[in-house]
Amino acid sequence: MEIIFIIITFVIIVLLNILIKRRLAIEFFSIIASFVALFESIIVALKVSTSGIYSPFVFFCVDSLGAIVMLIIACVGFITTIYSIPYLRKETAKNIIGFTRVRQYFVLLNIFLAAMFLAITTNSPVFAWISIEATTLSTAFLVSFYNKPSAIEAAWKYLIINSIGLLLGFLGTLLYFTSMSSLGENGFVSWQSLLANVTHLDPLIAKIAFVFVLIGYGTKVGLAPMHTWLPDAHSKAPAPISALLSGVLLNVALVIVLRFKIITDAVVGQYFTQYLLIAFGLFSITIAAFIILTQTNYKRLLAYSSIENMGIMALGFGFGGLGVLGAILHMIYHALIKSVLFLSVGTIFLKYSSTKISKIKGALTTLPITGIIFIIGFLAITGTPPFGIFFSKVLIISEGIKTYPIISVLVLFLMTILFIGFLKHIISMFFSKKPEDIEGSENNVWLIFPPTILLIIVVILSFYIPPFLSILINNAVSNY
Amino acid sequence: MFLTIIFLHLSKKNFSASIAYGLQSLVIVLFFLNSFFETNNLAILLVVFLMLIVKVILAPLFFIRLIKKNALAFSVSTYLNMPLTIISIAILTFIAHYQKFSPLTSIVPANQDSLSLALSAIFLSLLLIINRKGALSQILGVLSLENSIVAFVVFAGLEQNPALQIGIMFNIGIWILIATIFMSMILKHFRTLNVSSMNNLKD
Repeated sequence: MEIIFIIITFVIIVLLNILIKRRLAIEFFSIIASFVALFESIIVALKVSTSGIYSPFVFFCVDSLGAIVMLIIACVGFITTIYSIPYLRKETAKNIIGFTRVRQYFVLLNIFLAAMFLAITTNSPVFAWISIEATTLSTAFLVSFYNKPSAIEAAWKYLIINSIGLLLGFLGTLLYFTSMSSLGENGFVSWQSLLANVTHLDPLIAKIAFVFVLIGYGTKVGLAPMHTWLPDAHSKAPAPISALLSGVLLNVALVIVLRFKIITDAVVGQYFTQYLLIAFGLFSITIAAFIILTQTNYKRLLAYSSIENMGIMALGFGFGGLGVLGAILHMIYHALIKSVLFLSVGTIFLKYSSTKISKIKGALTTLPITGIIFIIGFLAITGTPPFGIFFSKVLIISEGIKTYPIISVLVLFLMTILFIGFLKHIISMFFSKKPEDIEGSENNVWLIFPPTILLIIVVILSFYIPPFLSILINNAVSNY
Repeated sequence: MFLTIIFLHLSKKNFSASIAYGLQSLVIVLFFLNSFFETNNLAILLVVFLMLIVKVILAPLFFIRLIKKNALAFSVSTYLNMPLTIISIAILTFIAHYQKFSPLTSIVPANQDSLSLALSAIFLSLLLIINRKGALSQILGVLSLENSIVAFVVFAGLEQNPALQIGIMFNIGIWILIATIFMSMILKHFRTLNVSSMNNLKD
């Protein structure tokens, strides 16, 4: 019932936002919708932590990993909705956007959130595909939001590359259905029925299907070499949307890949999918590490950092064992920290009106609180102790060193390169002399509050994981 | 259906390419109409009706309107020249019929030839998207890829229940609408549909 309530709330708010002509009302209703989603997601997560699985109707089913990702969507969704209000108000004040754009933004944001909730909670692999495709369609106009040639180009690449990827993922999805002697009751095939019928799935078809799924949904995850759309789209979208794209959407797509991994592993054993995940993960980290070193745009820098972190997660799931625990923890920490970073750069962008690293000087003097938040976020995302990502990386590498020592050492080396590259840009942006024409003050307290809340959650989760979340993580580790 | 993809590769005119896509979609509609006659399931008839409206009528109409409005009679060039394109088509068709893909093409042994042809259609649609520089051709490539996958699914006996097919059709309909809007935006900003002219984003 909670899931339906979330979806219905978003649908009603979308309709209201289309009809209403008052900005304040649109903003208020959007916050209400994301708050309802957060509240209901916590209830679902609590239920899953006690019962293991939550399936109020045959059409919906939330497992432990699904509940974790639901919490991530809800938490980041709520915070970004709050942040979006002062962010868009500042942009309106600067005459960058008008009321129509603001309305369009909140309509699409709510559709995007609803589509992500549907993708993660639906029990049907085909409907999960439809929902993931809906996330592409709803965010294409958010990527081209500023209507500049570069934004249109980014949105076009995003639309075409993701559509091709998802069509291949669709083919892969349907190939798994060959295991079903008849397509279930009324043709409805669920994740469970696919898993129950694995004995009828041809191992060669399972392998081909997983390759299609990994390439297809892997495009959405941002795994290299299918990542080319990601830095463009994430850097051109408004900052709160970039936070959702980088911090949340990539995880939703990754969970779909992992669900197919379980089915494939049951047919062909775990090594086939593990090797593929390790290969794609390693390639993603390598690409990101070297491009970050020479990056000139701070939003693209964060986008490449997302590619690296999705690569680390793929590596963790590929290594198995403790690596899976590390990957799930990494998913949680990365989602929250990346959102902190994107929201912080949103504030930096409002102040400097540029996304070029060379144009940002003395940001720590100009935006002291945002600067500190960003630097803490940087330390956290690069795996500096005592932040949670340090522990998740340690878990992944310690598992990898047992079975894949060369790859693990190589990953450590790449992480060092990445840290150096990131640090170089941070020093240039924050510890340099402030330009005289830029006023030294924070934009608005409401631009500081949302990332601060997320950062506090990250710090708390780095030292203490609540019992219900701990149960969810442990269950997810045993399932995946 | 396969021939329409070949035609899309050879065609130099956007108008005829749009019509070819409409014809290709009509073939898919006929597949589903056949499925309706076999099962007498009215929901499948609804899917047929939706497909006819969205893919056979509306999509080509959208594209033709855009072509006429912006005088886009001729499609922009390809990355490979015509002889190389034809060689690539031949190679991809051969690969689709290759033994390595037999697990896919023998899902339903009675339909092996049709499945091989559908698989080659998938490969050729991918080539169309990669090879063409025009945004409209890329859109037609993506839609042709979707048609090819649907054909493969039909021959493999993996059709989804009508409710999900309606969901998929809704998605495709929205996709066509959004892609058409984006084409207009590309034309407005770049004054051409040639995607190679879009080079603002570089690392």
